[in-house]
Amino acid sequence: MSEPVLRIDNLVKRFGGLAAVDRLSLALPGGRLHAIIGPNGAGKTTFFNLVSGLLTPDSGRVFFLGRDITGLKPHEISRLGIKRTLQIKSVFPQMSVSENLWITAQAGNRFLHPFRSAARDYDTAERVERILNQIGLAPLASRSAGTLSYGDVALLEIGMALISQPRLLLLDEPTCGMSPAETERAVEKIQELARSIDIVIIEHDMEVVFEIADDITVMAQGSVLTSGSPTEIAADERVREAYLGRPEDEDYVEEAAHA
Amino acid sequence: MTRRTIIERLLLAVFAAFMLAVPWVLPALVNSFWVSVIAEILIWSLFASSVNLLYGYVGLLSFGQALYFGFGMYGVGIGIDQLGLGFWPAFGLGIFAAIAMALVSGIFAVRLTWHYFAIITVVFSLIFYFLAVTQKGLTGGDDGINFSLPPTFTLGSAQLSFTNGTFQYFFILATVTICLWLMHCVTRSPLGKAFLAVRDNDVRASLIGLNVYGLRLTAFVMAGFLAGVAGALFAFFGRYASASYMFYHVSGEAVVWAIVGGAGTLFGPLVGTALFIVIRELVSTHWEHHSLIVGVMAILVVILAPRGIVGLWRDILSRITEPVDLKRAVETAELRTDP
Repeated sequence: MSEPVLRIDNLVKRFGGLAAVDRLSLALPGGRLHAIIGPNGAGKTTFFNLVSGLLTPDSGRVFFLGRDITGLKPHEISRLGIKRTLQIKSVFPQMSVSENLWITAQAGNRFLHPFRSAARDYDTAERVERILNQIGLAPLASRSAGTLSYGDVALLEIGMALISQPRLLLLDEPTCGMSPAETERAVEKIQELARSIDIVIIEHDMEVVFEIADDITVMAQGSVLTSGSPTEIAADERVREAYLGRPEDEDYVEEAAHA
Repeated sequence: MTRRTIIERLLLAVFAAFMLAVPWVLPALVNSFWVSVIAEILIWSLFASSVNLLYGYVGLLSFGQALYFGFGMYGVGIGIDQLGLGFWPAFGLGIFAAIAMALVSGIFAVRLTWHYFAIITVVFSLIFYFLAVTQKGLTGGDDGINFSLPPTFTLGSAQLSFTNGTFQYFFILATVTICLWLMHCVTRSPLGKAFLAVRDNDVRASLIGLNVYGLRLTAFVMAGFLAGVAGALFAFFGRYASASYMFYHVSGEAVVWAIVGGAGTLFGPLVGTALFIVIRELVSTHWEHHSLIVGVMAILVVILAPRGIVGLWRDILSRITEPVDLKRAVETAELRTDP
């Protein structure tokens, strides 16, 4: 078996006395869509923050394709090909939709030309155009991103993920706050992406998780409770206790497992 | 071409024609004193542009730009008075001193944002203000340094220097124009787009791969350059350098000019600076409390036009031209689809 895309080795992050991520170890093989679930406060987003460099771990290591990336700056990690979205939709509100895509396409460059006009970069303009058509935002290209509807911002985020040509994409609750129709559209895009890119997704919507994930990791209290296929997870007693123990959630899982 | 660009280009042409005609038009209409007022406005608007580059394009509010203005000034003053430099080497020394100081303080300052950043910029400028006041041997203390102007150009026996008012005006106009044009290029460039991304959302900017710290430092040094050029020009213009221009009060004025004029726009600082200096010149001879007017106007603009006067003007312009431009765009689109 080849080197896993992401290997986490005994990762620890404490906030004061609280260990948000506590001796987390994990190996995610490539070519699969991996979902991370767990109750609130299980440390899922902290885990993403540690991988993407927004936080530095107290101990433990993170390996990306065999390379130790622990302690690198967010932009350095991003330039290696790990891109992520934030739980709260986050774009560049005062820039136009196409400018958002434009700068995301350019951001990995070590040198940003200070004097040449950005409008003359026809290569990047063409890429932006292609992505705009792909995500269906071409008619809104010149609108400021801050004036878009929630669903359109989510599409723009996916467009930004696409144009940045990631090797590994971390999606933090991509369908959070979406209408059912928007969720469906987003899920479709994510599945399409997963064919060419390794994706790790944090998601609360169990229907979505069981629909798209190849593997599921359940986190509780900062470490891995268990990992497995969606059917295994749905049948796991410990998962029910830690996370799905409440009666109204139980139906949910069974429903999803049988779907 | 859209109606909007036509109007904007016409305005720019009229403005450029006026600026070129100032040394002849103003003495004929009012008196020659106003030529040097316009020159002063140009210099101070360049200084306000340095605040604008940081606040309007990168989202860093600096209350310490006077430090780099002061370094530009002292570079020229000390260069001429104590090192016996000519015009151009002294100019270069002033700009270099400002850039170097901006780099050194920027390394520390841009680690912080918002009020922490604002405070550290004030602290830096206060430290060097008090140093300048106490180091009488080098800086002349409170009295500053007075120097006599070396010639700018020497062609055989003929000399051109700032003692020629028209030459002085055009030299300042040309220098400020070049600096603003450079800034215009930067804001349109890939680097400029990266600045905007950092201003809008620095966490997201780092996640897409932008080096936020590096970009902020770059902008800080560029802003130091603009302030340094302004300070050097002001030293030549006033024939002296003084620590009083390094005080944070001067920085604060530039912040007000930039915000009232319109931060994040190229001409905003020019408009704001012109407005306040013209008010000062008109009112201060009649009424000593002219800064009251400045305060009231600043408050009104911030409340009624948060994007400044230029922002307000752009909104009005969009409202007038957009329906027409949109209609034309639709018509041309229809023409294209019709066989």
